[in-house]
Amino acid sequence: MDVFGSFTLLLAFVCAVYAFIGGIFAIKTRHPLLVKSTRQAGIATCVLIFIATLAVEYLLFTDNFSQAYVVSHSNRDLSTFYKVAALWSGQEGSLLFWSFLLSVYIISVLIAYRNKNGELMPYVGVVLAGVQIFFLTLNNFVENPFKTLAIVNSNGLLESFTRMDGNGLNPLLQYPEMVIHPPNLYSGYTGFTIPFAFALAALLARYPGEKWIHLTRKWTMVAWCFQSLGILLGAHWAYAVLGWGGYWGWDPVENASLLPWLTGTAFLHSVMMQEKRGMMKVWNVWLVFCTFLLCILGTFLTRSGVVSSVHAFANSHIGPWFVGFLALILLTCFAAYFKNRDYLKSENMLDSMVSRESSFLFNNLLFLIACIAVLSGTLFPVFSEWFTSNRISVGAPFFNKVMIPIGLAILFLTGVGPLLAWRKTSVDSLKRNFGWPLIVGLFCAIACFFLGYKDGASLLCLFLCGFVFGTIVEEFYRGAKVIHVRTGMGMMMAAHELSMRNTRRYGGYVVHFGMVLVFIGLAGSAFNKEAQKAMNIGDSMKLGQYTLVLQSGDTKAEKNYTAQRMIVEVLKDNKQIMMLYPEKRQFQGTEQAAGTMVAIYSTLREDLYVVYAGMDPELNVPVIHAFLNPLVKWIWLGGVWVVMGTLLALMPNRRTVLGVATVPQPASAPITPALAPGVTLREGHD
Amino acid sequence: MINVKRVGFVLVLLAMASGPLVLAQVGYSQRAKEIGMHLKCMCRGCDMSAGGCAHPGGSFSGPCDTAKGMLKEVDQHLAKGESEQQIVDAFVAEYGSIVYVEPPKKGFGLVAWLMPIVYSIVGLGILVFVVRKWALRPPSTASAGPTPAAHSDALERARAQAARDTED
Repeated sequence: MDVFGSFTLLLAFVCAVYAFIGGIFAIKTRHPLLVKSTRQAGIATCVLIFIATLAVEYLLFTDNFSQAYVVSHSNRDLSTFYKVAALWSGQEGSLLFWSFLLSVYIISVLIAYRNKNGELMPYVGVVLAGVQIFFLTLNNFVENPFKTLAIVNSNGLLESFTRMDGNGLNPLLQYPEMVIHPPNLYSGYTGFTIPFAFALAALLARYPGEKWIHLTRKWTMVAWCFQSLGILLGAHWAYAVLGWGGYWGWDPVENASLLPWLTGTAFLHSVMMQEKRGMMKVWNVWLVFCTFLLCILGTFLTRSGVVSSVHAFANSHIGPWFVGFLALILLTCFAAYFKNRDYLKSENMLDSMVSRESSFLFNNLLFLIACIAVLSGTLFPVFSEWFTSNRISVGAPFFNKVMIPIGLAILFLTGVGPLLAWRKTSVDSLKRNFGWPLIVGLFCAIACFFLGYKDGASLLCLFLCGFVFGTIVEEFYRGAKVIHVRTGMGMMMAAHELSMRNTRRYGGYVVHFGMVLVFIGLAGSAFNKEAQKAMNIGDSMKLGQYTLVLQSGDTKAEKNYTAQRMIVEVLKDNKQIMMLYPEKRQFQGTEQAAGTMVAIYSTLREDLYVVYAGMDPELNVPVIHAFLNPLVKWIWLGGVWVVMGTLLALMPNRRTVLGVATVPQPASAPITPALAPGVTLREGHD
Repeated sequence: MINVKRVGFVLVLLAMASGPLVLAQVGYSQRAKEIGMHLKCMCRGCDMSAGGCAHPGGSFSGPCDTAKGMLKEVDQHLAKGESEQQIVDAFVAEYGSIVYVEPPKKGFGLVAWLMPIVYSIVGLGILVFVVRKWALRPPSTASAGPTPAAHSDALERARAQAARDTED
């Protein structure tokens, strides 16, 4: 199976090279058969990568310990569930998994647009094949997952060798979320390849209009949604498994996943400028280029060991490949831009500083500053070593200080932006629009102050959360009221109808609402408390309004690990409310041999987060480390809303908004001015 | 198959419960922990601060031995009556600038703090420049009355809608 897998990977590489070179010739000659054959080579590449990926999974499932990858990342006792995940727990496997997910996107694009956009697709195919060639080079020649074990026998010859058992999977990864977090994050990273390919292709082909933006809008949203979900799942994993009481430590790998998310978010907003007003064409192209570059940079940072991180993969020799690829993409982008930049002439025009347009400009500025601040902070240790030969580390406190003001400014714009009209907003409408949200925000801040959340930045954050929530409700209320008056529908039904008529806009608001919840959760982190105590049986410890009593402990041997479990009774006002069972797991045959299972009593108000840290080395009694983390649950709830909002935005609109939709028009026919009067202008409603 | 060895473990715990309780359980003061939040744990395995070290993946998820040693060292400095700054400086002299949790606001470390401020000012400057440039387009287009503007706007919307209807 390993030879078969290896061969399929090699064949995939050949097909990708054909799709790339043949594609260039197809563009030059415009020979329909060549176009078709290169497209099919692209599809074949994807299918071959699927087969190679399945081959690795097969080797993992059949416990084939003659394979280096299987030996390093699996063992006989590993459960089936985690054998699937072993594919992406090591360098070689996860790079193949990258290619796999990229292929899922590519094959979908190639098949979905096989008979459409004939001008553009050959270019798209070439760009996609180019990206695939890079990853297939790594898969085949640098980090091949199909390496077999060999030893030198007594005759001095190499012979293959099979181990009895493997080293097992890193225990930190043996947690359900670790099975779904990497696929989500990788789907985000790889997904941004599609808008990148279309943007570059459109630039190379001088493809007319903003078609590439229309074509890639949904792909971008899908990638963004996966990226958001991947980041949140990663945070939740860090929270529930690492046992340090937090969910975000500004670790370089976390930062790497945040970077393309920031530029991707900026892009999702600024495309509206181009769609509605034909503005910022150059900017959008470069935002997409940067997002893709940051995805590759993120992958590079994660795997090259350039920056120190708790994540695996570090210290490999793969770095120079990524640097080379990054340079190549950058060069290609610059070359394409300078050659065809006249095609990106924009109709940039602003009517007023106080308009939706300018709010988008500020939005983009803030996201970009956030991105550069995170990037430069992450790379600063490397810079400092270059310039001063001393490595200065940049930890979480730095990022918190820098990012909190930027985050709050973005939150503020989330409330303000949607209420400003396109082109120009009058003072009257400002007063009308902002009155209620301001009252809601103030009410939230005052209520939180009396609830005990007395911290300046947090109160400002909670005020803004209330304000943004107010604006979102107001938007839904207004739109729903119009439908309610016109059709007599109930308000809830009208709000539903409204969302369905313009899924993108109202889906966007739902995403904003999700982000408000996330920010509420972040605001809570200013009030975290913790206590740690070496406890004998029957001892108690107080944290906030809770009293923890160590009742007893037990040990259970599972298939792959031995768990020591503490039984902790939680009392509030001398009444038992909960039993918590924090665990310490000792894994067999792994390098990092221990893992924690945190026990969390989670309410909307706060999480009581209890860790069994292990036996105190000096006193030899169990140490219980407890944290009281207010409002954390809101973050995960926010994540759910972000996903739901994106799904709503991805749904097609119910076509009842514009009269134009009912007039049959061939796609390419110019729309005559005579049609214009039939179109109702709904200020601020698109 | 779950094999519960509960009884034995409980017995061990009960035996320990009869032992003397040590009050200074952690071996370092709360103040040392606070100062330790500004020092990086130098075990090179956890990338956390000495005061907040949870050492994920270690057999003990609390401060690791390195972090504990550092915190005890902080206590020794405190006993000598040194200020927080003096203690941090002593650690920097011992380990180099890698021991900082956040860059110092002096020397090259200051660059890290100034960078975000510089981007913000430059970014804002560019934005204001661009906005002014765009807003100062020939007044004929900006204020030529609502009809042509609305007209082209409507046309664009229709175009966008048409594009949408033919694609999705």
